[in-house]
Amino acid sequence: MGIEYMLYFYGAVCLSMIMFNVAYAVFLRRSEPRMKRRTQALSLLTDRQLKRLELGKPVEERYLRYLQRKLRHVKNLIAFDHVLRALSSRYSVPGVQSYFAQLQPCILSLSLVYRKRENTQAAYFTYFLSRYMIHKHMPLQSLQEVLLEYMAKDNLYCQVNALQALYTFGSAEYILNALKIQDRGSVFLHEKILTEGLLSFTGDHDCLIELLWQELHSFSPRTQLAILNYIRFRTGSYAEEMFALMEDSKQDKEVRLAAIRYFGRYHYQPALEPLLAFAQNEDPVQWEYATVSVSSLSRYEGHQVIEALKKALHSSNWYVRYAAAVSLESQHVNYEDLIDIVAGNDRYAREMMTYRLESRRLQKAEV
Amino acid sequence: MADAFKLFFNYVGIFFILYMIGYASFLFLTVAVGSSTLYQLKRRNTLKNELLQDYYVPVTIVVPAYNEEVTIASTINSLLSLKYRLYEIVIVDDGSTDHTAQILRDTFHLYQISRPIHRMIPCQPERAVFETQEFKVPITLICKANGGKADALNMGINASKFPYFVCMDADSVLQYDSLEKIVRPVLEDGTVVAVGGAVRPCNGTEIQNGHVISYHMPKQIIPCMQVLEYDRSFLAARILFDRFNGSIIISGAFGLFKKSVVIDAGGYDPTTMGEDMELVVKLHVFCREHAIPYRIRYATDAICWTQAPETLKDLCKQRRRWHIGLYESMSRHRRILANPKYGLVGFISYIYFLIYELFSPYIEIFGVFTVALAFAVDLINVPFMALFFLIYVVYSTILSLTAFFARIHTIDLKLSVSDIFKAIALCALELSCLRFILAWVRATSLIGYRKKKQSWGSIQRKKINFE
Repeated sequence: MGIEYMLYFYGAVCLSMIMFNVAYAVFLRRSEPRMKRRTQALSLLTDRQLKRLELGKPVEERYLRYLQRKLRHVKNLIAFDHVLRALSSRYSVPGVQSYFAQLQPCILSLSLVYRKRENTQAAYFTYFLSRYMIHKHMPLQSLQEVLLEYMAKDNLYCQVNALQALYTFGSAEYILNALKIQDRGSVFLHEKILTEGLLSFTGDHDCLIELLWQELHSFSPRTQLAILNYIRFRTGSYAEEMFALMEDSKQDKEVRLAAIRYFGRYHYQPALEPLLAFAQNEDPVQWEYATVSVSSLSRYEGHQVIEALKKALHSSNWYVRYAAAVSLESQHVNYEDLIDIVAGNDRYAREMMTYRLESRRLQKAEV
Repeated sequence: MADAFKLFFNYVGIFFILYMIGYASFLFLTVAVGSSTLYQLKRRNTLKNELLQDYYVPVTIVVPAYNEEVTIASTINSLLSLKYRLYEIVIVDDGSTDHTAQILRDTFHLYQISRPIHRMIPCQPERAVFETQEFKVPITLICKANGGKADALNMGINASKFPYFVCMDADSVLQYDSLEKIVRPVLEDGTVVAVGGAVRPCNGTEIQNGHVISYHMPKQIIPCMQVLEYDRSFLAARILFDRFNGSIIISGAFGLFKKSVVIDAGGYDPTTMGEDMELVVKLHVFCREHAIPYRIRYATDAICWTQAPETLKDLCKQRRRWHIGLYESMSRHRRILANPKYGLVGFISYIYFLIYELFSPYIEIFGVFTVALAFAVDLINVPFMALFFLIYVVYSTILSLTAFFARIHTIDLKLSVSDIFKAIALCALELSCLRFILAWVRATSLIGYRKKKQSWGSIQRKKINFE
């Protein structure tokens, strides 16, 4: 008897699965036309408003109220996104900008609605903001305040999209606050995402860098690293500050390495001595400092540098030897100057240097 | 005597009821969780809950090759059309006896170079290294003495310049966005050490520059049944294991690994036939024993298209190899069985693989023999047995089709009506016939396996137009 009940149970599971498959197939078949209808309806209404703007009339209040009501539903927001995507190809830039400017109160009110929604929908709203704020149509302080609240949500995409929206607004103070919020939160934001995001900032980079530098030590090493990489890609005027970081042995290892890399991008004569010291340090535990310093030395010239790089070629560490060969090669040293390595007794140094020289020949042949 | 038979059949009956309840419940759970995850993923993508900007983690693609002259050039061409910027391609020719290396040198204008290889994990020595910078990304070819797939992969890891590497098969093709998708878990979680990609049979699918142009069920019966089996057994089950960081297998056809952790763990084991599974189990063991926070993820949208065997003979060869690999990995790391130190990996993943993968062919064959014996001694209720078998086939068919349609729906593929009927019919055939044939193949695979160790599995290759 028990077995029969079990068979009934599995039969019921089968039936419910079939029903689920059929229902989902029907839903899927209908969802596309439904989205098309939503988009068409919103497109008609929006076209009318843009035509009014072309005639010098403002956007209708009734339309704004309609949008405020309709766009509370995320599917309508998706449809509206489709409508807005097509606008720039059909209307003039000033017309579209004026339209976006008049949407401000509506967007602000929606930002308060979506703030309370589940994370997936909140993330979509921040994506929507980042997409249509590109020309800084709405640098509203209140909207940026709300975006900071989105930053506090426990969702990676919500944070990334909110940060992206803030980057497009171009306010350095809000970026600083947003970074502080993410740094305190539990969501992991890869330093690559932070650095790339900071580089896409549309405001005054010098002002942002200054603010970030002032607060640098309040951030975790991960965020510090992202900021230092951002500074490295953006400006060469922080050599003194980076020098201090590089020399500070209490700093996190990755932070110090980032500071050393800075001097591989920007020449700074006072950094040469410490770089040479790092490069010649034979302590196996310090190999990362030696490798990065040897790479950075490619920016520096002189007999002292060449000798240090040649010495590094005899290192017991593969990465140090490789970096030394690359740096020597980038110094365009003649073959004759390297004869002591290429014809020398140290097989490892010889192999590495020969490889780099052959690589250079290969690159030239292919160019 | 009759009483003894009755007692025996009673116990066997109880055992099989428990076994089938376990199987049916697990199947239901995997399909329900797998399908719902796929639908959630589709919703998340619609709502732009994804990393939309281009963030590039540098990746080395390691392609081990042994006698792959038919497919190697098109595989490398497909890798060159990937939508990704920061990667390099390292091909390791593991002592091929055909023209694999010559074809690569001629097609991609590779030049011999004296390149020192940083030997961090042991592997056979290189015979020659070739390079070119002529293409979008650097291509390196390393010709080495034959040492098996794991050994070739170890060489590729040693030669890689980037902190992450992707391993793939020389007869597979990565979808144009697969690299971008497989690195996303790394950007989303700093503790990720490995990510498995979704491997799909490409038979019947037309692919151009890594894009799917048309999708049909394969014409041949054997690959068609494998399409359904892949969705049920691999896609759905791996999604479930991913939920609790319990994946103990990443297909050798497509997986991403953090190089430093793999090197610290000792790299691929060249003495095993299932090097892909062995590495993942080893990573679990290594990270847990060294208290390293880690995650092993599964990226359902990072797609690799692979050639499924088209003949029963090739399929049997493949499954025999898989089963031996499974046995070796499980026996080598048997200490994790129900060991609290290894968390749910030891309690759920290992036990599941032990009972429903490693022992299942023996249990199923034992079941068939018991039915035959019961029939011979007239101790079986034939109509009830037929009904029970029918329920098993219908139940498994429906769950397989649910997983199959969930995948089809969530990647916006359109199937013709004839393909749908084909899927339904072949699903039932796979569960009622092919499954038992493969159970026999797997059950007998361990006989004399030690002689075949370290050999590359060879199945009939067909040139596929991927460009």
